[in-house]
Amino acid sequence: MRTRKTDTEIKPSLVPPIVAAIVSVFLPGVGHMLARSFGKGLTLFLSFVSMVGLWFWRVKVEARREVGFIDQFTKSIELLPIILVILILLVLIYIYIIYDAYKTAKDRTQVKSGWLWVLVLISFFILGWQIGEIQPATLVKDAKNSLPLLSRVLWPWDKAIYRPEEYLSGYAEVVIPCTEGVEVEPLTVNEGDPIVSVNPVCGNLSEIDGDPGTTLTMTGSGFKPNTETEIWWEDQVQNKFRHRAAGDYVKVTTDENGSFTVDVIIPYRVIPATNEEGYVVWKLSGRQLASVGEPVASEELKLSIEKMIETIFLGMMSTFFGIILSLPVSFLAARNLMSANKLTLAIYYFVRFILNIIRSIEPLVWAVIAIIAVGLGPFAGIIALTIHSIAALGKLYSEAIESIDPGPLEAINATGANWLQLVWYGVIPQIIPPFVSFTIYRWDINVRMSTIIGMVGGGGIGYLLVQWIRLLDYRSAGIAIWFIAITVAILDYVSAEIRARFV
Amino acid sequence: MLEIRHLTKVYDDGTVALRDVSFSVPEGEFLVVIGLSGSGKSTLLRCINRLIDPTEGEILWNGVDLAKLKGDELRNTRRKIGMIFQQFNLVKRSTVLTNVMAGRLGYTPTWRSLSGQFTQKDQQRAKDALERLGLTDQTAKRADELSGGQQQRVGIARALMQEPEIILADEPVASLDPVLAHSILQHLERLNKEDEMTIICSLHYLDLVQRYSTSVIGLKDGRIVYEGSSEDIRKITDAQFKSIYGEEAERMGGIIGELATEEEGAA
Repeated sequence: MRTRKTDTEIKPSLVPPIVAAIVSVFLPGVGHMLARSFGKGLTLFLSFVSMVGLWFWRVKVEARREVGFIDQFTKSIELLPIILVILILLVLIYIYIIYDAYKTAKDRTQVKSGWLWVLVLISFFILGWQIGEIQPATLVKDAKNSLPLLSRVLWPWDKAIYRPEEYLSGYAEVVIPCTEGVEVEPLTVNEGDPIVSVNPVCGNLSEIDGDPGTTLTMTGSGFKPNTETEIWWEDQVQNKFRHRAAGDYVKVTTDENGSFTVDVIIPYRVIPATNEEGYVVWKLSGRQLASVGEPVASEELKLSIEKMIETIFLGMMSTFFGIILSLPVSFLAARNLMSANKLTLAIYYFVRFILNIIRSIEPLVWAVIAIIAVGLGPFAGIIALTIHSIAALGKLYSEAIESIDPGPLEAINATGANWLQLVWYGVIPQIIPPFVSFTIYRWDINVRMSTIIGMVGGGGIGYLLVQWIRLLDYRSAGIAIWFIAITVAILDYVSAEIRARFV
Repeated sequence: MLEIRHLTKVYDDGTVALRDVSFSVPEGEFLVVIGLSGSGKSTLLRCINRLIDPTEGEILWNGVDLAKLKGDELRNTRRKIGMIFQQFNLVKRSTVLTNVMAGRLGYTPTWRSLSGQFTQKDQQRAKDALERLGLTDQTAKRADELSGGQQQRVGIARALMQEPEIILADEPVASLDPVLAHSILQHLERLNKEDEMTIICSLHYLDLVQRYSTSVIGLKDGRIVYEGSSEDIRKITDAQFKSIYGEEAERMGGIIGELATEEEGAA
C-alpha cells in the first residue's frame, strides 16, 4: 500500500513546467518522467508509441496496393474511415500528454488525468477492434446462410434414423408416330402395382421450331395418395429422361385415392424416333419415391455410437492408468514426506520439476507425439491422456498429501513404525476423500478431452466430428455433437453424485 | 534411569529452543515439565524419542545414547517410549481399534501390518487396553465421533500397545476441561504406580502439578530454571514462580502461567 504523502514531503519536479511540456512535444511521456512521475510517464510513452506504430501498420494493411504514404493514407481512410477517427484520437492524446506534463511539473498533487487514460483505453479498444477484424454485423447478415446449417447440427436425427426408400412406378407404352396396324399390347400389371394409361396411345414428336407434338392425356392410379409424382420418358434405346414443360420438370401430386391425370406433350428428340419398321415404342411412366419397411439406423449413427463407446473407454483407461502411475509419484512429490534428508528432498524437487514440465504440455500435443510412436488410433489417445493425467493427478494428490494433519504422523512415528507403515496408517486414511474427489474430477476431464483428442487422430469421436465438419456433412457432425453433449451431461451428473457420496 | 546431558536444540531458522539442558529421571518417576509456551517443553519431550533431532548433547537411557540412534535401532527404541499429545493426534477417519492397533506397528512386520493381520496376541492386547481405559463400547467407532476425553484415552491406549517403559505426555490435558484432566492424569498415574512406567509430562495447571508429580523441572527460554520434588512444588515461592513465568506473571487461583491462550509455537 502506498500512502499519499503530505505536501511538504513531495519532491519538486526536476525541470520547470515549460521544459517538461517541450520535452513531451518530442517524446510524449518523457516530460512526466522528468517531473518525477516516472511510472505514469513510462506508461504513457509506451502506450503512445505502440498506438502510433499500430496505426501506421493498419494504414499499410488497408492500402496494400498503394505506393507512398500519402496515397496509402488517403486510400485507407476512403476504405476505412475509422482510421481517421483513431488519428484524431491520437492527436488529442498527444496534446493532452503535453498539457498533462506541464501540469505535472507544476504541481504533481493537483493533476487529474482520468480523461487521458479514458482516451488511451478507447484508442486501444478501437485498434483492437480493427486488428481482430470484429464484425458483429456478419453474425446477423449471414444468418440466412448459417441458420439452415445450424439447424442441421441442432436437429440431425433425420439422418440418424431413416426408412429405406423405393421407387413406386407404373408405365404405359406410346407408339411414335401413329402407324397403321401397330398397337401396343396390354401390359400385365401385378396386383397392387400402379396402373398408368395414355390416350391416345400414339402420336408425333415435337419438332424444333415447328409443330408441338401430340398431346397425350396421362392417367395414373394405384399410387400413394397425396404424394409428389415424377413423369419420366424411356425411349427405344432405354434412355431415361424426365418430362419437361416450359423448361421445368413436370411434377404432379396424386389425389387422396392415389390417382392423377396430366396432359403430356410428346417432346423433341435429337435421335430420330424411327427405325426400319418406321415406328418406335416409348414408355411414359409415373414414379414416386416411397419409404417402405421398418426404420433403420444410419451408418453415421452406428459409427457415432461405436466411436462414442471408444471415447468413453479411452477416457476411462487413461484415468485408470493415470491413477495407478500417479499414486507412487504423488508420494515422492509430497514435501512433508520427502523432507527427511537431502537425498529425498532432491528427489522431491526432481519429481516436481518433471511433473511441471509434463503438465505444461497440452494433451493434444502429447497425442501428436504418441501418434508418431504408436500410430493413429485410440492407443495414442490413451497414452496422451495418461501422461497428462499422471502429471495433473500427481500434483493434486501430492498437494492433498501435503495438506494432511501432521499430528497423526508424528504419533505413528513415535510408535516406532517404518515409512511404509506410516504411509499406510497415517497418510492414506487422511487422503482418501480428496483423492476420490480429484480422481473423479480427472475422469470427467479425461472423457471431455477424449472427445477432442480424436481431432488430431488419437481415436474417439473427435476424429469423426472433424472429418464430417470438413466434408460439410453438418447432419452427421450434429449427431456426433449430440452424443458428446449427452455423454458429458451424464458424466457431470454421475461424478457429482459419486463425489457427494464419498467426500 | 534416563539421563539428559547438555541437550541443545537450534532450529534451522536460528531459534534456540533448548540451551544446555541437563537432568536425570530415575525409573518410576512422574516428572512434570512446566514453563510458558515457547519455553522448550515440547522440543524437550520430542528430543527424547527423536521426533526432533537434538543439535547437541546426549540422551542416555540404559547406557545407550538415544541421540545417536539411526534406522532400525531408533525405531526399536521408540517402541519402548509411548507418547500422548495435546491434540490427541488420532487418525480421525480411522476406527478406534485401528488407531489403537497403530501402537503395535513397531512390533509388526511391514507386510502383516499393511494387510491388517495383527496377531491374536496383539488383538487381545488391544482389547485389554481398550477395556482398561473404558473404551470397549467405542471400539468400532470412527475416532472423530468421540469426545475429547475419549479421544485422549484412545491416545493412551495406543501408547499402551507399545508396552512402553517411558511415556511422554505433551500437554495431555490442555485441550480438555478440568474434570476430564483429572481423569486422564489418573490413568497416567495408575500406569506410573501399577505398571511402573516412567512418565514425563508437560503441564501448566499448578494444582495438577502439585497433585500428580513426583518431581518437577521448570523451563524458561530453553534453560532449566527450576528443579524440585513434589514437596518443593507444593511450597513454591512467588520468586521461584516468577523466575519460571516471568516478572509479569501472577498466581491466579491454582493456575500457573499460560497467560496467553495460543498454542505451542515452534518450540
